[in-house]
This record gives sequence, C-alpha cells and structure tokens, in this order.
Amino acid sequence: MTRKVAIVAGGVTYFSKARKDKTQEELAAEAMRMALYENDINMSKDDIEGSVIGYFSDHFENQLKFGAIIQDYLGLNPKSNVRIEGGGATGGLAIREGYAQVASGLLDVVAVIGFEKMSEVNTAKGNEFIALASDTDWDFPIGGYYSGYYALMARRHMEEFGTTEEQMAMVAVKNRNNAQYNKFAQTNPKMNPYGMRDGGFIKVEDVLKSPYVAYPLKRLDICLMSDGAAVAILASEEKAKKITDTPVWITGTGAGSDAMRAGDRPRDNKSLPLLPHEKPEWYKNLEYPGVHSFRAGREAARQAYKMAGIDNPLKQLDVIELHDAYTSSEIQTYEDLGLARYGEGGKLIQEGQTLVDGEVAVNPSGGLIGNMHAVGATGIMQAVEVFWQLQGIAGKFHGSDKTQVRGAETGLIHSHAGTGTYVTVSVLRR
Amino acid sequence: MTEVFGIDPLIIKNEYFIEYRHSYGKTSPFFENLSKGKIMATRCEHCNKTFMPPRADCPYCLRETKWVEISGKGRIHTFSTMYFAGEKFLKDVPFYLAYVELEGVDTLLLTRIKTKEPEKLKIGMKIKLRIARELEWRASDIWAEPDE
Ligand SMILES: [Zn+2]
Repeated sequence: MTRKVAIVAGGVTYFSKARKDKTQEELAAEAMRMALYENDINMSKDDIEGSVIGYFSDHFENQLKFGAIIQDYLGLNPKSNVRIEGGGATGGLAIREGYAQVASGLLDVVAVIGFEKMSEVNTAKGNEFIALASDTDWDFPIGGYYSGYYALMARRHMEEFGTTEEQMAMVAVKNRNNAQYNKFAQTNPKMNPYGMRDGGFIKVEDVLKSPYVAYPLKRLDICLMSDGAAVAILASEEKAKKITDTPVWITGTGAGSDAMRAGDRPRDNKSLPLLPHEKPEWYKNLEYPGVHSFRAGREAARQAYKMAGIDNPLKQLDVIELHDAYTSSEIQTYEDLGLARYGEGGKLIQEGQTLVDGEVAVNPSGGLIGNMHAVGATGIMQAVEVFWQLQGIAGKFHGSDKTQVRGAETGLIHSHAGTGTYVTVSVLRR
Repeated sequence: MTEVFGIDPLIIKNEYFIEYRHSYGKTSPFFENLSKGKIMATRCEHCNKTFMPPRADCPYCLRETKWVEISGKGRIHTFSTMYFAGEKFLKDVPFYLAYVELEGVDTLLLTRIKTKEPEKLKIGMKIKLRIARELEWRASDIWAEPDE
C-alpha cells in the first residue's frame, strides 16, 4: 500500500540567460532558501531526510557528480542523495523519484532539487551539447539538432492535421506574455533584475516576423536556455499535515518513453494509448505515433489519469504547466494529454481555451518559452508553479496576481525530453 | 596564463578536449557495404520488420536481424530547412533535413537532402539515396537527392 504524498514547499531562482553572479550550488541555495523561508510552513531544514537532485548535462556543467556538491553545499550530508537525469524530463523524473521515496515509506520528507547552468558555453555549442542527447551515430553526424528534429515533426503535424504557423505563434504570445507577470521569468525585464533586455510583451506578428531557425520554427517559437534552480519539498501525509495547512497532493503520476530516433517509432495504429474519455474510432485511420505526436506523453497521461481519476481532462484540470520546448510541441502536447483530439490542438489555442482565463490555463508561469528552461530545474519549476497556483498564492511569489488561476483545484505537470523519449505527467490536487 | 574574462564575478577560461575510439559494433557491415556501393538495412524475419538505420537486434522480439540490400528509393515524409545548427555544422547552413520513407523499410530514415532546387522540395516527393565517393565512415556518407 503506497502512502499519500504532498508538496509542502517550493522555491525557484530568478532565471536568466546568464547568472554569472552565482555558481550552481549557490543557485540551488537561492531556491532552497525560498522553499524554506518564504513558504508558510512549520518545518526546518533538519526535517529534510534526503534529496533527489536533477541536472541534465555533465557537458554544460563541466563537473561530474555535481549532486554531491549540491548536497554538501545545502548542508544535507550525511542524508540520502541520488542524481536523476533524463534530458528535458529530468525535473519531472526527479519529482517522480521523490514521490516514490515518500510513497513507499522509505523517507518522510524529501527535497527535490534541480538546476542547470547553460551559459558557460556559446549558444551553438549549447545546441551541440543538447544534440548529443540525440543518436550520435545516425542523427547528430548529419547536422541533426533539436530545433531541427522538432521542426520536422511540426511540419508533419501541419501536413497531417492542418496546424498553422499562426496557431504556433499564438502559443508563443500566450506564454511570453504570461511571463510578464512573473518576476522570476527570463523574458521579464521589468520585474526580473536578471531578465533579458529585449524581453517584454509580444504580438503574433512579432513571432511570425522573427527569423527562421528551422522551418516552420522561428526564434520566438523556441524555448529559452537558462541558468537557474528550483526546489520542491515533498512529504508524507502525516508530516505534510504538520508542516502546512495547505498541502498539495500528488494524486497521480505516469511516465512514458519512446525511440531515440523518432523515425524508428511505429506508424501503424496498434500502440495508441487511449485515454478514458476517448473512443477508438476517433483515431481509426491515424498513423501513430509517427513523427507527428508524442506517444510517451500520451502513455504518461494515461497512467496519471487512471491513478488520479481524471476522465475529462479539459474540464477537470484547471491549470497545467507543460513542456513547451517549442510552440509546436505545446500544440502536440494538448493532443497527447487529451485536451483536444489529435489534429485539434491548433484550434484549442486559436479559441483561447488555454489562456489564463480559458477552460484550462496552460503555462501561466510563461513556460519554457517565457519563463525559463534551465533543463534540470524545469520540471521542478513546473511542480512549484502548480503548487503555488493550487494554494492560490502564485501572485505573492510572482509579484503580480494577474496569472493566478482563480479557484484552481486540480493541476497537471508535464515534463518532456528529446522528441518525447521520456515524458512524465503528474496530477496535483489541493 | 589563464585567460580571464571578468573580475566581479571572476570568470576564467576552462577547456576540455576528448578523443573517442568509437566502435560501430555489429552495425559495422553497413559502412563496409557502402564502399561496395550497397545500402544495407537489417531485417527481422520473425517480426517482418526492416530497419534503417540498421539494428543488429530486433527491438520487438530481440532476435538477431539479417542484412538485406535496399534500393535506396523512397519519398519525403517530412523535411525542413536548417538556418541554424549545432556549432559543428554552422558552416553548412542553410541545409535540408528530411525523414524519408524507403522502399522495403518500415522505419523512417533521417537524412540530408542535397538539391540545387530546394524550392521544389515537398512532402511525398520521390528521392533516392546517394553514397559519398570518399567515405568518412559516418551517417553523413549517405544522403537523399530528388528522384523525379
Ligand atoms: Zn523481431
């Protein structure tokens, strides 16, 4: 019998293209300090029984076994500590690992800590490092890199379903503009002292006019590369109730996977994980997953929904933080999560259903496009953001109430790695 | 002398170079056959699946696969123009990447498309794989060209 697990505290750093003012361990301390001292909790650092530490790249950091340094710097020795790595899904996988440690009864209070410092190499080198997280025998040597892979997938999605560049641009506008009410967001120069100077609000035309990186993806369709850290503290039911009056429960979690080379994924209809509200005849003629959709995301959602009793995600979920590495992948993810049928993700953003005041607010923090993508911290930032949303106090942390989703009760976090090789989905409830 | 980029905070230059002696293992015959002008895929006769890039072991049943020659003819499944790239390939931009459907192959192959008329590229266009005259023993030794 597994135990109930709650998030009881969260913290993030200011995100920035370059936080040269602090080392990785100092950034982790910035996020941990917020978790311990800015959340309304009745606990001390000594109550933490162990940590799960996520970071993506030994190449970016030029330091192996960084987990041991973070653990030491945060004064957590000699408690349990493990490093989790799963590309872009590192944070989501770390949250699941923390969940498993508490649910199983191994530990009562676990700190899940994620960080990344991507600024110590130039952007093209950074893209190359990320590309090394694709197949280095077959895909990397021909000039493959992630914006290229996602562009190929996006074009197939356009061909298959009629998705448009304008719809993608609307995702960028939503997320970037949400970030203007989040003081931690990299694209928020007004509120974030480390924010990018050319950030600020954008319009659909700005996205469409921004230079192509790989057709159909343009500069403003693509996520940030960031320095920063995030911390979520997880606790068992008994401890959670002592620590806070407003715990947020992790009521469901799932994880999926798929082939590293997206071309190796099936294109028949035999492996489509069907969500509770869907009918097989909807997708009778759909080649799946092909390169247009993320089967791992769907499988993760299927598991999490089953566990959490979600059978109408669009209506039941109030707030979602999902992995918008690209505007196209946010639209693809709407469909993988069953917020819209396959092929109708573009319509969902066009109708404004994922705006803060829409049917389900998606990426009110600004997501990876507006807020941050410090890879190892990203999935943990999502957990912290939805935690604050469900507590109703996002405004206190963001420095603006504008993106607080009123009365939010149920949320979802979605963490995704390299073209959908690992995806985690967790459902959170206040 | 250590190169210094800033003093508050102190920022210095670190470098790290690595050479790997990388083995292609059981897929080595793919490259040997390229030198004979043949493009080989692998096939699992138990599952009736043909893999390109080749896999020595079938992911569906984990039996060993067999080498089969393929025509290299196919169609564009999706394609894109790269205006930016990782550091190593910045010198090549703009270039074209595609997933191609190949005759007798169940997977899609990611490959470059080389063409003098990029504006004519479209999904469904017929292509043929070409082999480099001087092999570098890398996936870049093959690429697609329009075949219509
Ligand atoms: Zn087989």
